[in-house]
Amino acid sequence: MGLFDMLARWLGVKKKEANVLVVGLDNSGKTTILNQLKPDDTKAHDIVPTVGFNVEKFATKSLSFTAFDMSGQGRYRNLWEHYYRECHGVIFVVDSSDKLRMVVAKDELDQLLQHPDVKNRRIPILFFANKMDMREAVSSVKCSSLMELELIRDKPWHICASNAMTGEGLHEGVEWLTDQIKDLVDKKK
Amino acid sequence: MTSKWLDAYHDPVASLYTFTQCLTLADIQADGDWKLIIADLGTGSYDMKLKVYKNTNLMSEHAIIDLPTGVVNFYMDTLEPRTPAIAVASGPYIYIYKNLRPYFKFTLPPLSINQIEQELWEQAKHDNINVFVLRDALEGLRSDGQLLTVRSLKFLQLESTDLEAFANLHKHAPLKRQTVITCLDTLKKSLADEDAISCLVVGTENKSIYILDPEAFTVLTTVDLPSIPVFISVNGLYDVEYRLVVSCRNGCIYTLKRGSKEGSKYCIELNSQPVGMERINKTIYVGCMDETLQCYSSKGKKLWTIKLPTSITTMKTLDYSPRQLKTLLVALSNNEIHMYKDKYLVDVIKTEGVVTGLQFGRFGREDGTLVMTTRGGGLFVKILKRSAKFEEKDALAGPPISQNQKINIPKKTKLFVDQTLRERQNAVAMHRTFQRDLYLLRLNTARQYVKALDNSMNPISSDPTEPLKLSAQIQGIGPTFKLTVNLQNTSLSQPTSNLIITFNYDDKLYSFRNKFIEAPMLVPGLNYAFETFIDCLNEKGVSDNVKVYVLKSGRSVPIITGVISMPVSEAVAVA
Ligand SMILES: Nc1nc2c(ncn2[C@@H]2O[C@H](COP(=O)(O)OP(=O)(O)OP(=O)(O)O)[C@@H](O)[C@H]2O)c(=O)[nH]1
Ligand SMILES: [Mg+2]
Repeated sequence: MGLFDMLARWLGVKKKEANVLVVGLDNSGKTTILNQLKPDDTKAHDIVPTVGFNVEKFATKSLSFTAFDMSGQGRYRNLWEHYYRECHGVIFVVDSSDKLRMVVAKDELDQLLQHPDVKNRRIPILFFANKMDMREAVSSVKCSSLMELELIRDKPWHICASNAMTGEGLHEGVEWLTDQIKDLVDKKK
Repeated sequence: MTSKWLDAYHDPVASLYTFTQCLTLADIQADGDWKLIIADLGTGSYDMKLKVYKNTNLMSEHAIIDLPTGVVNFYMDTLEPRTPAIAVASGPYIYIYKNLRPYFKFTLPPLSINQIEQELWEQAKHDNINVFVLRDALEGLRSDGQLLTVRSLKFLQLESTDLEAFANLHKHAPLKRQTVITCLDTLKKSLADEDAISCLVVGTENKSIYILDPEAFTVLTTVDLPSIPVFISVNGLYDVEYRLVVSCRNGCIYTLKRGSKEGSKYCIELNSQPVGMERINKTIYVGCMDETLQCYSSKGKKLWTIKLPTSITTMKTLDYSPRQLKTLLVALSNNEIHMYKDKYLVDVIKTEGVVTGLQFGRFGREDGTLVMTTRGGGLFVKILKRSAKFEEKDALAGPPISQNQKINIPKKTKLFVDQTLRERQNAVAMHRTFQRDLYLLRLNTARQYVKALDNSMNPISSDPTEPLKLSAQIQGIGPTFKLTVNLQNTSLSQPTSNLIITFNYDDKLYSFRNKFIEAPMLVPGLNYAFETFIDCLNEKGVSDNVKVYVLKSGRSVPIITGVISMPVSEAVAVA
């Protein structure tokens, strides 16, 4: 951290920074969620399937986030693991209306949890059971049981039902993640 | 081995009655969310339906009038957004659906009617002929082997009392003879693009193949076959060059090319009826009723045959382009699906019930989806794991692949050639020498055996009057050992007596506590054990053989001899 940054923080001008990795299957709504979280003037109007990944920035009251918006398409999923090491938290987006691919999401989550860069870290994971507005959507409770989240014992996790189109549920989730990451950063000091 | 598949959906009571030919996957709403389209045969006589699944939900149902025999999806226009149409073959009709709405009904061209049959019905129409005469005349035509219309065939099946009514009901309608569709496929017209316009290829019960234009719905080409087609595999472009491989009910597979009017040129004659046919690249895979999977080249040359554990129910190609994986799925009646990559069994999928319908492709938003329907009416969906790897290795016993690799054989040396020549010229002499040596070896062996018998050097007595068996064991690690000598009288009824056991050993090495054992009378069959302790006198780890003799008093030659090789003794305890 540069001298200027330190000065800025001491003066309370600059917030602490955190990296989050945003993953989940293609079409689950990752880019749409991040777009909702961004300040109004930088919001994009049309969202297309992500190629590779994008880097986005957004802030909460106490943290400023750098989000890696990964593409969820099968051929890009092997990129995810390269960002595990640098991130302070993970946002895992599940399309709660895609029951057919719930197993695929679970398989990808299992691979993430087993990865050496994640396995032994108490890294917080926020799940969005997105597209709650869809008729076929399952509840966040059902989603968490389908994904067998109760088996995650060594990491803090939280699941929120969300609607990325309206922003419903997003802030509750991001607040939780902010608290978790702040705790971690504070403990380290 | 962990499974290579994820269980995505599971409904054992979906009450579907369908087959591979009646399943297709297509993006019929052009929204990237591919639907599963199933023609359900209902009860087999009514309740036939076209069902569309979106994700895991049944999205819509359409009644079908007759039994469906095939369902395909194809692009019939160039309109945007690119929405494929669904074609359902049923009886002599093809029903086309677009955007999930009935769009068009195509009727196969009518067939020619027998002149006499036509006249008979014409007369019936004007009441010039009695129904019984009509029946006898039609019956006569049929027994002559003439192909009659459905109306006449139904008429012949009726009871005498119903004839009049049936004739009156139908006689005014024009007589038609129609065929029934047996199989359906698509053929791209002039472009090979994924969403290019395709023709429909239709096989019928009257041994013909029709190729239909997708825009005008006219018959572009008709090919007559020697038999009734059951499975078609199509590739190429209609306007450029194409090839149809058709397997027929007579157990033959015909290859038709663009321009050929009949298909008997290239023919594969199977020794059993085909139950499934698929083509991967240039090879044709046929599953037969005799529980074999056979592979042929496009020229009709048989490449290999694999015997399967049970009968085949259906087959389907697995073409997974993201991984460049092309394999063959073979569903068996033992609740398994075997996956073959070339001739190697690379995976076995256990299923809940006998699979009768198989489809692999994109479903929902997932490319590697396997859809299965079972005989019991279940619907199951599995998804290929991203981490799955298929090794080209036989999961079952069979020749290893290394067997097929060419070994780099070194050139023949001059020495090798000379030796070969010599061997060829002197074959007789070499054989004789070998035979002579062999006889000498045998003679020598026999001599040694006789000598051993003479000296009673073997542990089983050969003397018919004293049949005995000897065995001995050494126990302990030294310096004191325990020697147990077991004696058994192997005669059936003759007891032996007056036997003495004694030993021959190096007395500088060993000392026997009991050097002379008198055996009691030996009852036939029982095992007698005699023991003695032996002390080893040497500390330097030397060991020797010890001989056990069984003697009969009054005879100088032992009856039997046993040789025991003593183990090396542990050092004498510090005392
Ligand atoms: N109804 C509904 N639609 C949503 C919601 N969130 C996202 N979508 C839609 O889902 C589609 C995919 O959204 P994206 O944000 O591109 O998904 P993604 O996860 O970034 O996909 P990739 O970049 O391909 O990995 C878009 O058409 C969104 O409009 C939601 O909460 N409700
Ligand atoms: Mg995206």
